[in-house]
Amino acid sequence: MRKYLALLTLTAGLAAAPQVFAHHSFAIFFGGDKNVEVTGKVTEFTFANPHGVIAIETKDAGGQTVVWKAETNSPSILRRRGWTKDSLKVGDVISMEGWPARDGSHYMRMRKVTKDGKPVGIPFENLQAN
Amino acid sequence: MTRGMRRGCMAAVVALLVGASLTAPASAAAPKAGAAKASASKDAPGFRRTKDGKPDLSGYWDLSRGPMPAVPEFQAKFAPNTVVVNDVGAPELPAGNYGGLQLTPAAQEVARTWKQENDMTVSKACAPPSIIYSMQGPFPIEIEQYPEIIIMRLEFFDIVRFIRMTDKHRPENAPHSKAGDSIGHWEGDTLVVDTTHLEASTITNNGLYHGDKAHVIERFKLSPDGKKLISSQEFEDPDNITNRGARFIYWDYKPGDYVYPYECDPTFGLNYGNPDKK
Repeated sequence: MRKYLALLTLTAGLAAAPQVFAHHSFAIFFGGDKNVEVTGKVTEFTFANPHGVIAIETKDAGGQTVVWKAETNSPSILRRRGWTKDSLKVGDVISMEGWPARDGSHYMRMRKVTKDGKPVGIPFENLQAN
Repeated sequence: MTRGMRRGCMAAVVALLVGASLTAPASAAAPKAGAAKASASKDAPGFRRTKDGKPDLSGYWDLSRGPMPAVPEFQAKFAPNTVVVNDVGAPELPAGNYGGLQLTPAAQEVARTWKQENDMTVSKACAPPSIIYSMQGPFPIEIEQYPEIIIMRLEFFDIVRFIRMTDKHRPENAPHSKAGDSIGHWEGDTLVVDTTHLEASTITNNGLYHGDKAHVIERFKLSPDGKKLISSQEFEDPDNITNRGARFIYWDYKPGDYVYPYECDPTFGLNYGNPDKK
């Protein structure tokens, strides 16, 4: 149970300026100067353009189930960074880190996913742009 | 589909377009010895030419991550009232900033009331931007070059451009599309492409749109070492901007790679406006 508890950090000013692309404007939907990290069990992983989506189930401090979703860069870009449609499976326990939605919802733009202690693919903090 | 199969399909498309007069790719075309030799003799190592002496732009090109400085010889061709918009690649202009483009009153009103959330629907999530925006996105392109036609495949939204090099006829009633209708010619070692018949689409991805009168002039050249494809994109649209805009766009040559299928899934739009997101 404990390992599924959400580890949530929301840190202003620590995240690098986003160098990711969306056909919709990143700046309008996401806080580029903030960082959020959550840990939980994968309930959904779609790997399709224009953006992939990862959903994980976590527990909040009161023990309530909370679903967090992360929107990824274009899978076309992720493929060249080592991702495939099989990189995540329902039931995997992962940590995902990214820029939080401006509207306060449990939604982020993914920058990095960690599974079994290792990053999945090449995180976006390691390379410039895409 | 293998890379070879894809190329076979592309050749079939070209065959349909140019009919029985299909020639081999320019790189295999019969040489026009004099001009080719004269040009090639001045070329630095790595600069590629087709056998008819034109710069060989074919291959896989990934958008450069580095700086994209202005190209003086291209900039000298711009109209006097042209502003260079600095949003190429991952950077995006914030709301209300149009990079120096001057909006007409009609465009100002559209921009003032624009909300990008309204674009994030199932019906719009996979609507491609026109080449004015899509050429500068951080996605690779692949070029196939023939004397009659040059084909640009953009990974972004699977856009395919056909640039006619010999057939200059442009029907008045040609359909508008996100790729538009493109006619090209060579000015020395520079490919110049003139595009009209673009379907209305975003210019800066933040509320400024062009209409169906948009007109684009692009110039493409190889760097001396052949490792970069260097271009300028100049555009005008009297219905929406009172000056003209331009971008400088650079790509890096990465032989052996190829453009992936995009195959957009519109259900992504369900993530916006979906109550479960809250």
